[in-house]
Amino acid sequence: MADLLTHVLVAYALGTVASWRLEWLSKRWIAVAMVGAVLPDLNRIGLFVTDPTIEGVLGVPFALDALQTLGGLLVLAGIGTLAFDRYRGRAYGLLLAGGLSHLLLDAVKRYADGQAGTWLFPVTWYRHPTPNLYVSSDPAVLLVAISIAFAIWVIDRRWVDDHEPA
Amino acid sequence: MNRRRKFVLGIVLSAVLLGLCVHYGTTYDDAWPHPTGDQLAGGGDEYVGDHVLLFGDVQSVHEDSITIHVTDDYGDVAAALEVRNVETTDLEPGGVVQVYGVLESDSTGAHDGTMDAEEIVVVNSSPDAATYKYVASALGGLFAAGFFLRHWRIDLRWLRFEPRAEASPHGTDTLSVDGTKADDTTSSVEEPNGSRDADSEVNERG
Repeated sequence: MADLLTHVLVAYALGTVASWRLEWLSKRWIAVAMVGAVLPDLNRIGLFVTDPTIEGVLGVPFALDALQTLGGLLVLAGIGTLAFDRYRGRAYGLLLAGGLSHLLLDAVKRYADGQAGTWLFPVTWYRHPTPNLYVSSDPAVLLVAISIAFAIWVIDRRWVDDHEPA
Repeated sequence: MNRRRKFVLGIVLSAVLLGLCVHYGTTYDDAWPHPTGDQLAGGGDEYVGDHVLLFGDVQSVHEDSITIHVTDDYGDVAAALEVRNVETTDLEPGGVVQVYGVLESDSTGAHDGTMDAEEIVVVNSSPDAATYKYVASALGGLFAAGFFLRHWRIDLRWLRFEPRAEASPHGTDTLSVDGTKADDTTSSVEEPNGSRDADSEVNERG
């Protein structure tokens, strides 16, 4: 869980680069991917309503962290897609792509035992080896993300300007 | 899709999501290869001698050791450990660490256990580091929401997102190479690569 700003900026950068090739991928659809990058962090609802509180209501074990997994994302993106009346395949794909970029970035952060979190749930509980690239509280992570997003924004602006009709 | 169908599908998907959270919560303690706070709270002696990965709140920092509290789901202290062999520079009480090593029982009884850290990851060096993450994350949420709402508007009546008319001078829509505006969501013309979205023709406005 890099900080959420990093995740949103990464989704922006990836979406913008992809838009150079995909003509239909306009800013408004990049925005959908950026929202997708937020979805896995919806487990932060736990800051306001804790798992034990929900368990008390439901009477069964409960973990919001399931939202920060592949299965949780597939369903959350589905719920988000319901709010689109047209281009649903596209909306789902972009919510999913943004969320996957979030999960993949989290999959390479540091764990003391060298194995990533259980984000592949419910497909498998397998924890793949992580290259231990970063910890989320390191501001360098956000600085790198800001730099990359800014560079891509500049290139994109230039490119769009160059193609502006006379 | 009419509102009723949308509502029903929303309830079905929410139920699936709820099921996932219940399943995750039910199986996590067994599936996670290390003792969780809840498991440590129930004694924890059976993990002595095992290689464990634990998440702990830093209580005190010494020259080359720290004491940490491992908490359970309720936030109550499940185990208090002394962790040795720690590079403590920059580490402050109130920080969060991951420690990996062999769990030993504490002969003096001053703690619930001790550990020689083979690997340590400083998750948050201090409470400030945690605050930094929260602030950056809140900004991330606002940025995504702001960017999205510049291009979409929320139609509460029909529970849907409607594309906004584009006004930005830089054209938030794709401009094709010959400068033709390819307005993909407001025009009634099907997109050129419509085969990508088998469901894109669905356009029942309620």
